[in-house]
Amino acid sequence: MQHFLKGALAASVFALSLGMSQAQDLAPLNSDSEPDRMDWSELEAKFGPLPAPPAGTKVGGVSKTLTNEYWRSLGEGYQNVATALGIEFVYQAAQSEGDQLGQLSIAENLISQGFNALLFSPQSDANLIPAVEAATAAGIPVLNVNDAVIPSATHYVGNVQKGNGVNVANWFIANRPDGGKVAVIEGQPGVYAAGQRTAGFTETINAPGNFEVVASVPANWSREEAFNAAATILQQHPDLIGFYANNDGMALGVVEAVKAAGKQDQVAVFGTDGVSDAYAAVRAGDLTGTVDSFPVLTGEIAMEVALRLMAGQDLPRVVATPQALITKDNVETYATTDMAALRAALMAQ
Amino acid sequence: MSNLIQSLFSRIRFREAGTLLGLILIGAVFAWQSETFLTAPNIINILQQSAINACIALGMTLVIISGGIDLSVGPVAALSAVLGAAMLVAGVPVPLTILGALGVGVACGFVNGALITWGGLQPFIVTLGGLSLYRALALIYTGGTPIFGLPDEFRALTNGAWMGVPNPVIAVGILALLVWVILTKTPLGEYFMAVGGNPEAARIAGVPVTLTKLAAYMISGLMAAVAAMILIGRLGAAEPTLGTLWELDAIAAAAIGGASLMGGRGSIIGTLIGAIILGTLRNGLTLMNVQAFYQLLATGIIIIVAMLIDKLTSGKQG
Repeated sequence: MQHFLKGALAASVFALSLGMSQAQDLAPLNSDSEPDRMDWSELEAKFGPLPAPPAGTKVGGVSKTLTNEYWRSLGEGYQNVATALGIEFVYQAAQSEGDQLGQLSIAENLISQGFNALLFSPQSDANLIPAVEAATAAGIPVLNVNDAVIPSATHYVGNVQKGNGVNVANWFIANRPDGGKVAVIEGQPGVYAAGQRTAGFTETINAPGNFEVVASVPANWSREEAFNAAATILQQHPDLIGFYANNDGMALGVVEAVKAAGKQDQVAVFGTDGVSDAYAAVRAGDLTGTVDSFPVLTGEIAMEVALRLMAGQDLPRVVATPQALITKDNVETYATTDMAALRAALMAQ
Repeated sequence: MSNLIQSLFSRIRFREAGTLLGLILIGAVFAWQSETFLTAPNIINILQQSAINACIALGMTLVIISGGIDLSVGPVAALSAVLGAAMLVAGVPVPLTILGALGVGVACGFVNGALITWGGLQPFIVTLGGLSLYRALALIYTGGTPIFGLPDEFRALTNGAWMGVPNPVIAVGILALLVWVILTKTPLGEYFMAVGGNPEAARIAGVPVTLTKLAAYMISGLMAAVAAMILIGRLGAAEPTLGTLWELDAIAAAAIGGASLMGGRGSIIGTLIGAIILGTLRNGLTLMNVQAFYQLLATGIIIIVAMLIDKLTSGKQG
């Protein structure tokens, strides 16, 4: 889609879209490749210190589900900033990750309550579109925070999904200079994050020419399915040197399969997300590493972006949030719950 | 028309009055807790959010009355949504697309009904298989990715409003009236009740049992497809994963409204109120900023309380 932005085609697309609603004037968002973007670390340097919100400011957040640690941590980050600045904050989530209509109802109900800004983490690319349209019509700024990407979103705060896979591939290139066979355990097919993470890993690791991706199979974010897939792959390729899993749950399943095959010393296993189980496994030496996307800090940054937008700052469409490859060497640096220290460590990266 | 409305009200019986009383009680609690609750935009919000579940539940009620169950409604909706969206994106005219998508729903319902009647299989198992089968077809057809870019001409149908009432609410209201007429004013309605109440007696009395059951599943498939059209119009996109757990919400609405899973008993008005109760709960608890886990708890309690009241008021049969 990003190709539309360039060349003569752009002019005709623009002309066609003139008659449509405002939201549709923007090209469909691809959060990884959108050119109008900046990194979180440049916010303060480019736009100055966070402006103080006016008294009585109310911000609402809607995320996928609170049964997943990631979304609880994100909410914690939102709340940190809200508490520090004394603004009212309401955080709601659907009953499960599949509950698309329930999440839409929650979002619509929040719009009717007069919030100054809304932070949405939609279940899917499409399920919150009516709520975004209603909020836009009511003049309420909406931020799409992480994961599913609403094509018409005017502001997105989140991870560069492709970067997760690139980080892991670079570790292999630096630490396994002889190359070898590697495999990918993918998330649910069709999910943007899964596709981008896999693409980032595969493209980067194929570049030097001495690595071979011998298998790339979906395990639908399930630990059990990942275990089975990894066991099968190890049987077929006993000389495999590494796995990359699209999330930590699956990576921990892979770890069990590698242990069962007795190949801990030969096979490096990487996950994505940085959940607490993964940190424990990295410390224990079971999991070689994970790419942490720092959900609490991401929540803080998203809330700060919302406050900057409310103050009228003209931010780029995408603000990329931090990520880092966690291995046994640096696990203690990043395990901190002190967000100021974490910010400093990431800035120094 | 006025005759129709008069008889509509005269037909609201004891059980339906009880469901309505429940709705009023729940509404009163929310109105007392939140000042936004009783405003016109919020009431419209509730009706809009209940419309899709109500639509599915109408078909579900007929299936339940006829002694069956339809677990495949969500995936049927997903399949007709993605096929309908693909037609729209390919430039097929809107009326033709809607006919085609509704046809997909009816066809799925026919397959379910055929396996149950002619195949002699249990409704629960057949539609459980359908639940996986139709979902798989939707996923395979789209490769798992949503279809975006539905034309504004189509979206205007579902996003418009008449005198402030959103079109989906009006559409589901008209459908409810039609289904109510079928159930209470036509021989087919009596057949549904008879087949669900006592299939053997119905057969002996000359009721076309097979055709009656087929009709119930085909109407259920049709309603799933209507719900799908409403949803993709609102979203502007069709996702192969849409409709997850719709069957449970629809069964809950029908049960709160007085339908018996043993068959032979159920009410369209009760089902509509049941769907609105579920929508109201979600809306009111969100306004009060109650977390999702407690919303689930409240839904469970309401269903069980409704069943207990049912048991107490309907005597010994159960």
